[in-house]
Amino acid sequence: MGAAPASRDVTTYGMGLAVPLALFFLVFFVAPLLQLLWLSLHNDTAGLHWGLGQYLHFLTDPFSLGVLGSTLLLGAEVTAVCLVLGFPIAWLYQRVGPRLQTIIILIVLLPLLTSVVVRTFAWIVILGRQGIINATLQSLGIIDTPLKLLYTQFGVVLALAQVQMPLMTLPLITALGRIDPNLDDASCSLGAGSWRTFFRIVLPLSLPGVIAGCTLTYAAAITAFITQSLIGGGQMLFMPMYLYQQASTLQNWPFASAISIIFLLAVLAVVSVFTTLGRMSRGYGGA
Amino acid sequence: MIMNRRSLMTTALTLGAMKAFPGLSFAQARPLVFATFTGSWEEAHKAVLVPAFRKANADAAMVLDPMLSVDQIAKVNAAKANPPIDVMLHDPGPALVAIGQDLVEPYPVEKSASYKDLIAEAQEPMGPAPFFQVVGLTYNPEAVKTPPTSWADLWKPEFKGRVGITNLNSTLGTGWLVEIAKMRGGSEANVDPGFKALEELKPNLAAVAANPGALATLFQQGQIDISPGNFNAIQILKARGVPVEFVAPKEGAIAFKTTIHIVKNSPNRELAFKLIEAALTPEVQTTLMNPPYLIVPTNSKVTMGGEIARVLAKDTAELKQKFVFQDWKKINEQRSAWIERFNREIKI
Repeated sequence: MGAAPASRDVTTYGMGLAVPLALFFLVFFVAPLLQLLWLSLHNDTAGLHWGLGQYLHFLTDPFSLGVLGSTLLLGAEVTAVCLVLGFPIAWLYQRVGPRLQTIIILIVLLPLLTSVVVRTFAWIVILGRQGIINATLQSLGIIDTPLKLLYTQFGVVLALAQVQMPLMTLPLITALGRIDPNLDDASCSLGAGSWRTFFRIVLPLSLPGVIAGCTLTYAAAITAFITQSLIGGGQMLFMPMYLYQQASTLQNWPFASAISIIFLLAVLAVVSVFTTLGRMSRGYGGA
Repeated sequence: MIMNRRSLMTTALTLGAMKAFPGLSFAQARPLVFATFTGSWEEAHKAVLVPAFRKANADAAMVLDPMLSVDQIAKVNAAKANPPIDVMLHDPGPALVAIGQDLVEPYPVEKSASYKDLIAEAQEPMGPAPFFQVVGLTYNPEAVKTPPTSWADLWKPEFKGRVGITNLNSTLGTGWLVEIAKMRGGSEANVDPGFKALEELKPNLAAVAANPGALATLFQQGQIDISPGNFNAIQILKARGVPVEFVAPKEGAIAFKTTIHIVKNSPNRELAFKLIEAALTPEVQTTLMNPPYLIVPTNSKVTMGGEIARVLAKDTAELKQKFVFQDWKKINEQRSAWIERFNREIKI
């Protein structure tokens, strides 16, 4: 169009619109994070003596490393459960009529509309000694004494998987929706069975959604303080509770800061593994 | 009026700034701010203490800003010269932290009308205790037919897999461990016997809750039948119809002083003093002692009644006899080491 000013380059975009959010992040996210880093580099609680003591304390202490390890493992378990249970739902969503689609999306979204605290308390009712699972098993005569489900790793993984499920299902639904259904038919007509079609066509093409879902679920699961402490109890220590204990009960802010920085780096490492996998999958999907 | 982008932006920014920093609009005088605890404490203070204070002080403006002790300390620490809070409420551990960090003023004892009437343990010159919190044994009367009488009952084989405790994050958890240590010959300086006792308790442990509030849920779900518990928390559960009972063990119920403090550099020093005075009066303490609040009074002029007289103490003399107070100065010295040890050793 002749009316457009000649100097305007259509391939560049003005960054002006991003400024408010960038400023907001700078003031309320980057600055506190730097403060956290500054505080973690002190050896005493008053923050007077510089040093790497807090990091050394954490990294040379098998107990602290164990807490970090079990937290990262918990995230992996929850993510795996969400992926295995969420994928079929997302797949189903693409293959049913519009009415069922509405119902599925409602079921997927419903948990997001209630608070995490409420959902977690529901799990206490389900997993408790006199809870739904134990009552059912007992009335069926399968067990005599109630199983211990609450305050176990199994219970935490189960509850977290349900609580975080939408974060996995929604990206999967989007990713699977982008796959041309004709590819399925083409694969079948060329002689591939359903499983082969799934592993060679559907799964590779849905990988971006899988990666996005895994990243979200993982990050949410390992930081889920409420669910971890209500279902896991006081003796199963994960990083968020460890942090809370040091910061809140003991007022040991430098160590708490060091814990947060280490936790942050560990999570970033895991997330970057996911992202790398995602980048590789793009190449694979295109091949 | 011409509305252009610039004027719109300015207006938006101003409104935003006023919202974000309400102090801008009335930096000169702000109402008295009392940081009470959340939950039942807030309800009780809103319903009883605030009206009593306003009645006695010509309807002076005041605000309740409920938050945890730790948050109170953090907020005051962040603005020591012009603190956003005038009156703080603390459990014994955080109270010592606040005093240690020089955040509170000595209470003007000589001006106070009620201070001298407080029982000796509540007379703290850096901030008196208007209330006690009491920890004893909590049990489900439907499952436990003979009421327990001693902390030692938790170790009985009949409670295999039925006992709940909390970790040491809470005042309750730490205070209880100290009491167990004392029962076995330890003290505030030596909780080794307490940890040994915990080791022996493991077969009985059904749950180590992350906080005392979670214990309540465990009772409701039948996950546990017996645990150390806070008198007030149990009363709330009872009122909701959960089958729980509270008994003071024969070793004595653990009493925590909840202390109330004037914040250093408070712009409302005089009103802060008046509010604390109101909290110490026999009238306010009597009302708070009655249902539904059941808060244990510290003023010796209050006549004990109701549930408190029934399960805790009929008068101040009996109260002194049945309550044990702990040395939190000593406890605070080693608490972080204990928490670490608890983290490592208590796995069920």
